Amino acid sequence: MNCPLLEQTDLLLDYTAGRLDSATAALFERHMENCTHCAAFRTEQAVLWNALDAWEPEPVSLSFNRTLWQRIDAIAAEPWYRRLIDGFRFGAWKPALPLAAAVCVIAAGFVLDHANAPTTTNVAGASGVSITEVDQAEKALDDIQLLRQLDSASHPEAKNSKTM
Amino acid sequence: MLRVRDGDEDSFRVLLDKHRNSLVHFLYRMVQEQPVSEELAQEVFLRIYRSRASYEPTARFTTWMFRIATHLALNWLRDAKHERSQERLDEDRSSGMPARELPDRKLSVEQRMVYQARLQEVRDAIATLPEKQRAAVLMHKYEEMEYSQIAGVLEISESAVKSLLFRAYETLRARLAYMVTGGPR
Repeated sequence: MNCPLLEQTDLLLDYTAGRLDSATAALFERHMENCTHCAAFRTEQAVLWNALDAWEPEPVSLSFNRTLWQRIDAIAAEPWYRRLIDGFRFGAWKPALPLAAAVCVIAAGFVLDHANAPTTTNVAGASGVSITEVDQAEKALDDIQLLRQLDSASHPEAKNSKTM
Repeated sequence: MLRVRDGDEDSFRVLLDKHRNSLVHFLYRMVQEQPVSEELAQEVFLRIYRSRASYEPTARFTTWMFRIATHLALNWLRDAKHERSQERLDEDRSSGMPARELPDRKLSVEQRMVYQARLQEVRDAIATLPEKQRAAVLMHKYEEMEYSQIAGVLEISESAVKSLLFRAYETLRARLAYMVTGGPR
């Protein structure tokens, strides 16, 4: 049966890489004296580590910095519109993103709010009669009522003959 | 980097000098071609320079830099995968390694040949790893990055990084197991 410590891969890798603190490393050392599984892992990983250590990269060219600065100078000499395009390409627009999002949200809210708001020619109910027309009709009825009251007040005999 | 953002070119020079070698070496081990690694490293620094104005210190500078580098290297590897022929690879191998990679001039011819063969085996073993495993191993082994930082570069969880590394080292151990016994498989 395998040692449960083999499941703790990060600890084992850190141990073989020499990245554990001395106290934990000492615990591992003691454990490996009695655990053949962990000891075998340590041996294989150590061999791999040494093999990888042997792979040294080539030195960086002496002209690296000079070439890079030439390219940077070329960027600086580019026309403003090219730099603007590059700025967008390389993320200069990112700080403006929250502001743009906020503007979009406000604009959308404004449009939705005004799309639902009633207008002066709104339809009242499903009858197809506008609010303006209803107001005008009510006013006309009030006027007729007032005229009748005035008429009856000025000709009381007519009213009495009718009642007789 | 904050000074670079504010237009301090000297600080960019400092950043360049501080990170140039590790970046080129990482890219070299990723793509295994020196001119390409330097070209990609230049592109990384150019992108940093171009986007300096919008830099936000949400992560460590090296995490950001290696994220750009890894994306560029992976893109290059994907593009190159279809272009490079087996003949080209064989040609590179037969032409031998640069003298820089020789461990010691005092070694005998036979010792040098053994060393070169082993080194080539290491390079091949790394090259055959899946791309993200390769990047994770190179950052863990050679750049000595923490799991959290590798996770930040690869934009995956820390546990995913540990899993990647475990599988990658398992593959490498199996492939290079003969080095324990001292002879080829």
